[in-house]
Amino acid sequence: MTDTALRSASARRPGTPGRVLSTLIVVVLLGVLLVFFVLPVIWLLLAPSKTAAQIVNDSPLSFGSFSQIGKAWDHLTAFQNDALLTWLKNSAIYSGASLLLTLATSVPAGYALALTRFRGRKTLLMITLVTMIMPSATLVLPIFLELNEFHLIGTVWSIILPFSFYPFGVYLVYIYFATNLPRDILAAARIDGCSEWKLFTHIALPLARPVIALVAFFGFVGNWNNFFLPYLVLPNSNEFPIQVGLNQLLSSTPSFNPVAGAGLNITIPELALAIIIAILPVLVLFLFSQRALVSGMLAGATKE
Amino acid sequence: MTLLESRRVTAPARRRGVSRRRGGRAGYLFVAGYAVLLLAFGVFPTVYAFYLSLTNDRGQFTGVNQFVKVIQDYRFVPAFTDMLLYLVMWLVLLVVLTVLVAVVLRGRMRPGLSALFRFLFYLPGALAGVASVLVWLFMLDPDVSPVSWLLDSLGLNSFAAVLAPGNLPVILVLIAFWTGAGGWIVVMYGALNNIPDEVLEAAKMDGAGPWKTAWHIQIPMIRTWIAYMAILAFAAGTQLFVEPQLLQTASLGRVSPTWSPNQLAYVFAFQQGDFNGAAAVSVFLLAIGLIAAGLLVRRSDMFKVDET
Amino acid sequence: MRTTTSPRAAFRRTPARTAVAVLAVSALTTLAGCASASPAAPTAASSSAFKPVTQNPNATITVWTDSTRLPEVQAYQKSHPGVKMNIVTYDGSADGSTYLQTKVQLFDRTGSGWPDVVFSSSTTDATWASEPTKPGAIPFAAPLDQGLVPQSTLDNFAKGSLTACQYNGHTYCLRNDIAQVVLWYNKTLMDQFGYTVPTTWEQYEALGQKVAKQHPGYLVGSVGDTNSQESYFWSSQCPAFDLVQPDTLRTDLSSPDCTRMSNLLDTLISDKSVSTQGFFSQGFAKDSGSKVLMANGPSWYGQYLFNSAFKTPAGQIAAAAPLTWDGDTTAATGNVGGGLWMVSSHSTNLKAATALATWLTTSDANQASAPTYPAYVPAADAWLANPANKQYFASDVSSAFKQAANEVWTGWSNTKFSDATAWSSVVLPALTAGKTLTSTLPAWQAAIADEAKAEGYKVTTQ
Repeated sequence: MTDTALRSASARRPGTPGRVLSTLIVVVLLGVLLVFFVLPVIWLLLAPSKTAAQIVNDSPLSFGSFSQIGKAWDHLTAFQNDALLTWLKNSAIYSGASLLLTLATSVPAGYALALTRFRGRKTLLMITLVTMIMPSATLVLPIFLELNEFHLIGTVWSIILPFSFYPFGVYLVYIYFATNLPRDILAAARIDGCSEWKLFTHIALPLARPVIALVAFFGFVGNWNNFFLPYLVLPNSNEFPIQVGLNQLLSSTPSFNPVAGAGLNITIPELALAIIIAILPVLVLFLFSQRALVSGMLAGATKE
Repeated sequence: MTLLESRRVTAPARRRGVSRRRGGRAGYLFVAGYAVLLLAFGVFPTVYAFYLSLTNDRGQFTGVNQFVKVIQDYRFVPAFTDMLLYLVMWLVLLVVLTVLVAVVLRGRMRPGLSALFRFLFYLPGALAGVASVLVWLFMLDPDVSPVSWLLDSLGLNSFAAVLAPGNLPVILVLIAFWTGAGGWIVVMYGALNNIPDEVLEAAKMDGAGPWKTAWHIQIPMIRTWIAYMAILAFAAGTQLFVEPQLLQTASLGRVSPTWSPNQLAYVFAFQQGDFNGAAAVSVFLLAIGLIAAGLLVRRSDMFKVDET
Repeated sequence: MRTTTSPRAAFRRTPARTAVAVLAVSALTTLAGCASASPAAPTAASSSAFKPVTQNPNATITVWTDSTRLPEVQAYQKSHPGVKMNIVTYDGSADGSTYLQTKVQLFDRTGSGWPDVVFSSSTTDATWASEPTKPGAIPFAAPLDQGLVPQSTLDNFAKGSLTACQYNGHTYCLRNDIAQVVLWYNKTLMDQFGYTVPTTWEQYEALGQKVAKQHPGYLVGSVGDTNSQESYFWSSQCPAFDLVQPDTLRTDLSSPDCTRMSNLLDTLISDKSVSTQGFFSQGFAKDSGSKVLMANGPSWYGQYLFNSAFKTPAGQIAAAAPLTWDGDTTAATGNVGGGLWMVSSHSTNLKAATALATWLTTSDANQASAPTYPAYVPAADAWLANPANKQYFASDVSSAFKQAANEVWTGWSNTKFSDATAWSSVVLPALTAGKTLTSTLPAWQAAIADEAKAEGYKVTTQ
């Protein structure tokens, strides 16, 4: 058979039942998934514009009024004397500072694990993998005891230091460098007398932008959303990050705690607005991170 | 042999010698910061947890007695059964749907539309944690939810009916999928993208349709990434804590406070003051996680990058 | 060049090594006759006198309060500017949260960080706070009857209200409010339908059946809340939580005192005049708020339920004295919650801490306008006299409230775990699924027994 005949034989002719059916399945699947993923977000964004009664009675996707958003904001900031803003500030401090520390420790470590040779390298890799799997509930107590030994309880370091430990980030950097950096260049540079540090800063780092962005993104988001450690370790509610604060807000909402909630004006619109505020920084990051996600994780896979 | 080839032959020997001498010291320095954190927040707590699981609160050695005690607790089996059920549902749904969607987005539509879909699927990931549970509390409440007609048609006409104990694994899988699937779809898509076009062309010429290509060629070529996703999802699944804990609060107690094993460890530690029992539960969880990770790593050549 | 020990090979060897290790440990265990895995039973707070730490009258006191009580604490700071206070909010142990217990355990381990004054909305907290959390620790709550609060003040609390604070012969907290259960009813609707307010449980059952026939959709009660059992089963004196010894719990739900209530409720549930949806559940107010004819519930239902949640207009709701059973002269009634204030035994400024706790619970200035009915009797009188608390109701609630306050049953003990867990996680889902309450009693009893044993209690049915 000729080339063209082959091609026309293998190309499904449009309109055949098989193709129509599979297209239909695909359309339905994508449609259902689209609604599943997007509808809650739309609902969430529209909720603060309605009063609690409107949320229950009106159509779910209707828009209320801008003034209602203002009222919801006022109620939220009145809660416990601006606790919401304090919590946001705390989250920014914890996540921001630990981000810097994470990058400062994980990127060199990943580089060294991938491209240098020293004793204990394999052990370090293995331990990194294992600690990624260890469950959190029991680890918190030993961490708490440790932090107390060094008199760090109640300081910001009790959160920043544990947050800076990011084995997943090290592993990402390790894979990236191991598969991406041409060994020959490194070898040549070493032979030419380049110090390891110069190698790292002049050759490796510039090439590592995608994975650094990726580690920064995952690390920041993971720390911003972390609930368990701050919940247990922080003694005062004005040191809480926003996630733990949301939990406290929840227990002050009448629908979830009838006795304590009355009189505090925290109902569904306020809770929805609080959720939006809590995730806003992460959401903004998400808008710009998709590309970094792909290039950081998969750049290595392009090599044989 | 040309000069280039001979250089390449001799260079490795010299490279090895040079790097071993140089890389060694610098290597230690580079990992120093991370190693300190690893010891402080990874190694020491894990070792301490093992120590706790083998002793009692007076410091005496108890052998396997802590593990026996914990297994006999009336909440142990239900918690692990819940978790296993959740894990099976979660992993199957995640792997099947993300790969399927990635294949579809890669092969069946225009790039612009595909990018838009990926972005929209990806967005809910920003709400991971407390925020996602709160949003889903509203989605699952027939009085407030935009899909209340769907809930009513399933016979669930009140929030209490939705939170029946039998529905919990499904609810938790939904929440986990909603926040987690989008990112993995993007990764799977990227992995598919990296498959050289020639391979796909060859398949087409051999008469393979899009589904056959996907099943026989594309999926096997990204199996490393599928395994990676499965390990991480498995590990995260065994650690399930925040979501059932919040559901317990928001349901005013209808959801058991020890639904997941991690919650059980928490109750042991902080309600009963029994840190040794909590450590024993965690060691079980760790063992399960390690076995799964080990199996998946072996079967998917994940460590190939290191054997150079 | 291939390295000799690739991680893959290492992983292959690890399972074998681990298996050997496990076998070795098991062998060691059986051979060595290892120590018991149970936590050490903490020695009960001995009868020796309470020894305060070194006091400093100028020390700042840290106060943990919940959102609802925060304005009260702030008002105290304003009127007492000389007292240095650090006010912190937390969830107040609401909804079964064990945050306070968790934190105190952590503080006990590190030896510092305890707050000086704490509010809790759960009486369970006094149970564990009156005992050491681990060997060698001292109980978190200070015994207030040992020189801190005058006995005359303690005597003026409503009868039985301090029982929740009393352990080992000492009083470990001050009761903020009592939530005595009364029979709430909508006077307007009752008059409209021509019903008389029942005085016994038998009359209540008959009325419920009449309402179901004549006015379907109207409700005489609900069992769907996390604390509904406290409104109903205390009244029939059901031995569900009876501490016969400090470490032995008697729970016997097959007793006639339990089944008479469960049968009554089952009749009304199947008639649909008692709802299995909680009064406070999402959507109840919208769907059925205006159809609540009667509610057997705590004193705070008046403002929190009918006024705030249901928005029933003023002048419709009234309260009647608790129901008796045919043949009984006095009623036993329930108690749903009621907060308490504790002072820390580790406080360095006990004087200021105690003064604050006393002011919050006993002063007219604070309690007369509090949202809940005070446990301190003189303050309760002031509360009842406050026009804001009377204007809403159709008739004077004082006599019903006072009578109920004296009839709270003392046979339902406070344990280290909340009594809401078993009810919420076992009974409520069963009711939602359509099972009868009486058929769920064995499962409820099993859940209580399991929880008690996990907390270290011995369980008996006698």
